[in-house]
Amino acid sequence: MKQDKVNITVIIIFVIIIGLAIWSIFTYPIKLGLDLKGGTQVILKATQIQQKETSSSTTSASSSGNVSSDAIDKAMLIMLNRIDKLGISEPLVTKDFNNNIVIQLPGVDNPDKAVEVIGKTAQLEFKIVEGYDETTRTYKLGPTLLTGDKLASAKAGYDNNGRVVVEFSFNSEGAKQFEKITSENIGKQLAIVLDGEVKSAPVIKSTISNNGVIEGIGSLEEAKDIALILQTGALPVNLEIQEIRTIGPTLGQDSLRQSLIAGIIGFILVVIFMIVMYRGLGLISFIGLCSYVALLWGILSALKTPLTLPSIAGLILTIGIAVDANILIYARIKEEMYKGKTKIVAFREGFKNALKAVIDSNVTTLITAAALYRFGTGPIRGFAVTLALGIIISMFTSIILVRAILFLMLNSKIITPGFIGVKILKNSNPKAQSQKEQ
Amino acid sequence: MAKDKIKKQQIKQQQQIITDRSLYKFDFVGKRRIWFLVSTIIIIAGIVLIFVRGFNFGIDFRGGNLMEIKFKQNVSVTELRKVMGDIGYGSAILQSTAPDQYIIRTVPLDNKEKTKILDNLDQKIGIVRPLIQDRNVAAGFSSQIIKNALIAVAISIVGILIYIWIRFEVRFAVVAIIELIHDLLILLGFYAITYREFNSTSIAVILTILGYSLSDTIIVFDRIREEIRLTKKDSFYDIVNYSENKTLARSLGTTATTLFPVLILLIIGNQTLKDFAFGLFVGIISGNYSSLFIGSPLLVVWNNKFPKYKK
Repeated sequence: MKQDKVNITVIIIFVIIIGLAIWSIFTYPIKLGLDLKGGTQVILKATQIQQKETSSSTTSASSSGNVSSDAIDKAMLIMLNRIDKLGISEPLVTKDFNNNIVIQLPGVDNPDKAVEVIGKTAQLEFKIVEGYDETTRTYKLGPTLLTGDKLASAKAGYDNNGRVVVEFSFNSEGAKQFEKITSENIGKQLAIVLDGEVKSAPVIKSTISNNGVIEGIGSLEEAKDIALILQTGALPVNLEIQEIRTIGPTLGQDSLRQSLIAGIIGFILVVIFMIVMYRGLGLISFIGLCSYVALLWGILSALKTPLTLPSIAGLILTIGIAVDANILIYARIKEEMYKGKTKIVAFREGFKNALKAVIDSNVTTLITAAALYRFGTGPIRGFAVTLALGIIISMFTSIILVRAILFLMLNSKIITPGFIGVKILKNSNPKAQSQKEQ
Repeated sequence: MAKDKIKKQQIKQQQQIITDRSLYKFDFVGKRRIWFLVSTIIIIAGIVLIFVRGFNFGIDFRGGNLMEIKFKQNVSVTELRKVMGDIGYGSAILQSTAPDQYIIRTVPLDNKEKTKILDNLDQKIGIVRPLIQDRNVAAGFSSQIIKNALIAVAISIVGILIYIWIRFEVRFAVVAIIELIHDLLILLGFYAITYREFNSTSIAVILTILGYSLSDTIIVFDRIREEIRLTKKDSFYDIVNYSENKTLARSLGTTATTLFPVLILLIIGNQTLKDFAFGLFVGIISGNYSSLFIGSPLLVVWNNKFPKYKK
């Protein structure tokens, strides 16, 4: 009865793991993705910032080709910082396979302002005005002398005339440079350029070292946004919005409810089907299936992967996959028993013969899940994770756990041909049996 | 000793069973021409439609704006079209999801244009905020989605090819890939024939089917591999048919259990869920069909041309 001991140990280990999974489900309630909770997702494509070199040479051609990965990572950090300052909770800023930046803002249902603040490049530049073009009404500007990354602080306020301004001050290095620039250019106009737009061009009256103001701002609101952006630093890239997707709270709730209902009804139908087809064995696979759902749910909770619509679809699909292994094994056991084998031999052979098929068919699905994970974006990745986890866990529950339970019961009188759903089974003579099959 | 005896008995008995053709109920391989023809017709119809009419691409692929709006009162399509027409969006595609609820599709919109539309709708009909959903996709964004999907498909196919090659042999791997491509073409054909919206969900579905549709095939292949080892006397034709018959219960069983939840999603789900379920439904059935009627018979065709096993 050494075998029995092994089986009991296996079952105990599973009970412990399932206990842990259930504990995890209650300790880390599963997070809902944007499509189920509601919120906004923005996909931004980073392009290189066009450098305006000098006044004489018109804008150099933009080389919006490859943006360095470093620049994108830096941009992501800055954006996260800005989102933080906007007071949006639990934001998610990620990079997809194509180096697009994907921003998720749960609960944000009017994203226009947020998107504008987050995606603004905020390249602050100081240039000397070299002339004024009457026809185009634009300043002719000299080279960039100083940029916004040398700022120490920025805040919105009003100037003496009651106009909205953004006051800024430089850090020590910036202050030194600014002092040099202003002392060398007294009497000239200094253009303060934000994202290529000349905000103001005051005449330098004396040497200034530490601070200055940006004028020409529409409203206090806008000034606050600019100050916020300047504080978090300029983005090292330009951003183009590829997609903005906002899901209202009701749509998410509907989706969640409908897919849960489909999952539960589907689960019940699967269990009924298994019991009708395989009788007692079907009941055992019900235990396996419940353990499967508990384990998968528990691991998804522990991993803190947000549950999305595609991952629910993956979950539902894997219920089918999980039960597939059982069907394969049971069909094989039935077949072996019809051949006239004793139940012990039939169970051994059934498991052994079905195992290879289960592994091979699951590995091909795993290969696709891996490709999906590598090349998919956001929700598709969630789907790939559920699919892969589902396949791996289902192999454990439907092969190891179900096997241990069945083999433990094998010696008892519970397992009869009727329990398995095998109708005729008197003879042990294969020849007679095979004739009967004809 | 006893084990040896069982094994010998098993082999002997296996040989007895298979040699007798009446022991399998369905002759899948014999009627292969019919099945090949059926698949060819569906695939050609699909391809022709793809070229003539094209897919019904969603905004993921065309670029554009989609807003689902709940109005404060019931509103008819004509009324809504008039309001939209008055502000210059007469070409918007309107789809009712409830008497007081519409999906409005337009070209890509910037903030100003969107505000204009929403303000107008609010004044004339009255809308409930926040919107149910709102998406804006830049034109040209889809080229990336398609590129990614193609890479995923290519990587999967190569990965699966290598795996089956290692576990079985090269002809099994090639046939499996043919079957995969068959399933993908059928699925694409169904999108074209039914003119269902083709969007990023469809891509996810296609990739799912890519991974899943082979599981039936592998089960049959596994059985064929086993039977080849057990019986040297029988013809490959019989081995394949026997294996298919023996795995039939499992194939149909698994297809049924996988289809249950998918069917329910198809019935009760909202648009996104329905899109997902539709593709899965077609893909699962075609995957099952192709493993029974296309893949394994192809193995026999291959063996007839380049015999490796007894004809």
